Amino acid sequence: MFRPFADWLSNTALSKTLQDQAWVVPTSQSIHIIAVSIVFGSACMINLRLLGAGRSGRSVSQLSNTLIPWMWRGLAVLMLTGVVQTVTEPVRQFVTPMFWAKMTMIIVVAVMTALYAKAVRRNAPQWDAASTRPRRAKAFAILSTLLWMAIIVCGRFIGYTWSFYA
Amino acid sequence: MNIAALLTAIESWPISAALRGETPGTEWLFPITETLHVMALAIVFGSIAMVDLRLLGIASRNSTVSRLSDEVLPWTWTAWGAAAVFGTLMFMAKATIYAGNLQFRLKFVCMGLAALNMLIFKLGAYRHVERWDAGAPPLSAKLAGGLSLALWIGVVFFGRWIGFTT
Repeated sequence: MFRPFADWLSNTALSKTLQDQAWVVPTSQSIHIIAVSIVFGSACMINLRLLGAGRSGRSVSQLSNTLIPWMWRGLAVLMLTGVVQTVTEPVRQFVTPMFWAKMTMIIVVAVMTALYAKAVRRNAPQWDAASTRPRRAKAFAILSTLLWMAIIVCGRFIGYTWSFYA
Repeated sequence: MNIAALLTAIESWPISAALRGETPGTEWLFPITETLHVMALAIVFGSIAMVDLRLLGIASRNSTVSRLSDEVLPWTWTAWGAAAVFGTLMFMAKATIYAGNLQFRLKFVCMGLAALNMLIFKLGAYRHVERWDAGAPPLSAKLAGGLSLALWIGVVFFGRWIGFTT
């Protein structure tokens, strides 16, 4: 269903211009990986803290309030570079289920993170003390870590699977 | 044994053939190894960037430099170990080609310089960290943070470009 759209997009002047520049995709992908590192690194630090690691460091609310804004900035860079890669190579993205699984999981984890950030901002003392922290904190930490890992797997596997579907 | 013979010998090992997907059932070994390498490097870069940005005075100003380092750097080293293991496996698949690849060599030059930079920082400005721990780091520490960030961005860039040039 998305194939005709992908074919149309790859024939647009913008896509053709980008395709003619061999450096565009590798450069965009490199920036994409830098941004993945910021987002995944921050997510892992917050989640490990919620799971009980690094108790001697900053409090849960301090850590979350510092790192989550960086995750949003990283996500903005990811979207921007992702769009560049998609406009340059639309077929590669749209034909493989990996791409759609990745997009779905990004929406889920982004909504989860926004709700988590809001809950921590609203009631920091409750989240900072391990005894009063809501039980769903651990569920959030595990699910969020698994989702980010799955997103990375799907992202890397777009490149390895698209030719089967094209 | 000279280096060329050593590289050829490495490529002839059964595990190297498996990593090239030549043994039945191993077609996905390289993509999986590469994905794990990406996850590990994301933790390495993400965590180093947190410390570097703190040294530059851009992020995590609510934490002292020494506390942030103690909190973050154990994860950096663990993830670096994992990235090195998966990276070595990828190298074994096509040892001769990688060893002769310009981007591969530049990646390791960047990593070597990053190690040197870290050593100079540890023996220099960081020895008197208690003097500037909570406030603005001295120029030499800012320089170390900026250099580290630039060199690790170089490592990620050249690393991604290896895939486009081999």
